[in-house]
Amino acid sequence: MRRFLVIAFAAAFAAALGSAMLELAPSPLDLRIPVAAHLAQSGVSHPVTAVLLNYRGYDTLLEIAVLLLALLGILAVVGKDNPSPPRPAHPVLQTLARLATPSIIVMAVYLLWAGAFRPGGAFQAGALLAAAAVLLHLVGLLPAWSMPRLRLRLGFVIGFVVFLMVSTALLGQGALLKYPAETAGMLILLIESALTLSLALILAGLFLLLSRDQGGA
Amino acid sequence: MTDPLIWLIVLPLAWATLAFALGPGRGAWVAMAGLLAQLWLAFALAQKIGAGGAALSHAVGGWGAPLGIDLAVDGLSAAMLLLTQCVALPLAVYARSYFKTGDPAGVWFWPLLGFLIAGLNALFVSADLFNIYVTLELVGLAAVALVAAGGGAQQVAAALRYLFATLLGSGAYLLGVALLYGAYGTVSIATLTPLVTGEAPRLVWIAGILMVSGLMLKTALFPFHFWLPPAHGGAPAPVSALLSALVVKASFYLILRLWLGPLQPLLPVFAWGMALLGAAAIFWGSWQAIRAVKLKRLIAYSTVAQLGYLFLIFPLLANPAALKAGVIQIFAHGLAKAGMFAAAGVMIKATGQDTVAGLAGAVERLPVTLFAFGLAGMTLMGLPPSSGFLAKWQIIEAALAQGYWIIAVVALAGGLLAAVYVFRVLRQAFLLAPEGRAMATVPRALEWSAFALAAASVLLGLRGVELMRLVGGA
Repeated sequence: MRRFLVIAFAAAFAAALGSAMLELAPSPLDLRIPVAAHLAQSGVSHPVTAVLLNYRGYDTLLEIAVLLLALLGILAVVGKDNPSPPRPAHPVLQTLARLATPSIIVMAVYLLWAGAFRPGGAFQAGALLAAAAVLLHLVGLLPAWSMPRLRLRLGFVIGFVVFLMVSTALLGQGALLKYPAETAGMLILLIESALTLSLALILAGLFLLLSRDQGGA
Repeated sequence: MTDPLIWLIVLPLAWATLAFALGPGRGAWVAMAGLLAQLWLAFALAQKIGAGGAALSHAVGGWGAPLGIDLAVDGLSAAMLLLTQCVALPLAVYARSYFKTGDPAGVWFWPLLGFLIAGLNALFVSADLFNIYVTLELVGLAAVALVAAGGGAQQVAAALRYLFATLLGSGAYLLGVALLYGAYGTVSIATLTPLVTGEAPRLVWIAGILMVSGLMLKTALFPFHFWLPPAHGGAPAPVSALLSALVVKASFYLILRLWLGPLQPLLPVFAWGMALLGAAAIFWGSWQAIRAVKLKRLIAYSTVAQLGYLFLIFPLLANPAALKAGVIQIFAHGLAKAGMFAAAGVMIKATGQDTVAGLAGAVERLPVTLFAFGLAGMTLMGLPPSSGFLAKWQIIEAALAQGYWIIAVVALAGGLLAAVYVFRVLRQAFLLAPEGRAMATVPRALEWSAFALAAASVLLGLRGVELMRLVGGA
């Protein structure tokens, strides 16, 4: 009965939303025009990167804080539990993972570099590196993490710290995150490189800190 | 120091990161130094706006809306910023003594506190609906992590329930923002406000309802309050204080912003519905507080009731006094509830029991704490000269001026019910302790920071005029 009510409610909501969408007129403002018009001053030539790191860079700054916070939340709950012992080695999988890792790293660096002019950027590159760490962990080459030491903690925050320091230093230009047009490209690359490292560690941490084997496999 | 409003966001982010890098259990001094500087900044900002009466704004990135993100501070935001720093600093002093070294609940308290305060400050100054969503996530995640930190299975379960509620709330808000963006092509509040009219398409109505319902869930308005008592009642005392005093107010502030800003042509249809739920919250929350067995449950249900008063102002908003009444109620409840949770934490630490019945004899050993509890209770009941009195007086006056005597009756009845549950605690504390019951000694800093918060909630009643002038300029 309860399930039926929930389904009925969801269906009614979807129908109302769908029918309302159909009668929608085109919006009076088209942000694509100003995005394209200021692309030359933004320091990058790909509109998505320009929005993420320049026009709405402040959103991205806070998003990185949200990711750090997710990691902190896990640390606060996991506490000092001992992580699981390394998984049993499986020679074929380990060899495959060893072969895949270098090309994943090359791919991540390419994505970071490509972000300036085509789809790519720090988030994608960081996610790829984190995937490599998870892969290595699953085949037993990388142990799970427990309470992070200073070096790892610095790795977690370095991207955010660089981003925050650049944003604040740019107050000298008159506003938070106001890049001067001539150095914007370089500053964005600096921020993205630091972010790639931190995002890779944070995303890998979300997995490796929670890795607990139940009964072993 | 070009812009105090920027530093109110950058500073807590900086000290939160530093506290995290310093390691588990570290960072208390950095946090307190940062909070002290922020308090000064918030005062400077409020003074600037109170004197000039004009809103301040800052275009992040120098682009300006709608391409970039704008930050804006008016009297209402300045008041919220001031409350946030005023509550956070004494609670930081309290928390430093509360979490003994090695307490698993306090290991990551300082970085979490920094991100929470940064999120709140960023929320209060943002003038961009999508950016507000990001700040909501920051506040929500930090709050959930603080509730869950180092707790047992029950506390983690409460935190998880809180997480689902807060994610559903911000998810509904985000869907509403996406629909508004689809309809108007912008998420800037200033650009959006003139575009929305009473003849808005159906989609905009759906968006408005989604956003406000999501925020109501996050504010724990009756009947969406189910997540609040376990989360606020189960968390460590300094965390409960932060959540009840500040976090639920952030989403209420946002409802008020939408109501007075971009959604003004649509939402007033629902004003009486909001007031009805507010009245139900007052009665239901008070009733549950009167029946509660555990002390912190009682205080958490009292939060449900006190939040109800905030929703009584919606039918009255045509009268500018109603907004002032709402802001004073936010301040009164924020300071009093922070003081009350802090005092409860002291009593629970000293008696080793978390029930109301376990308080017998507390008056001999903890006179300062009990005095703090009584002062905070005075504000919740609305006795003069506390700020709670001022808030209720303003609500009743605005209600009678517009002929809505029913709202005045609800406000008065709520005060009486508050008296019942406050005196329930005080009476128990004045009973003789059972034979042979020893009480643990508690650090002085705990007692006095609780007292400072509770006393501030009463003394604010004497300086409420300045606060009202600040908001009046909005």
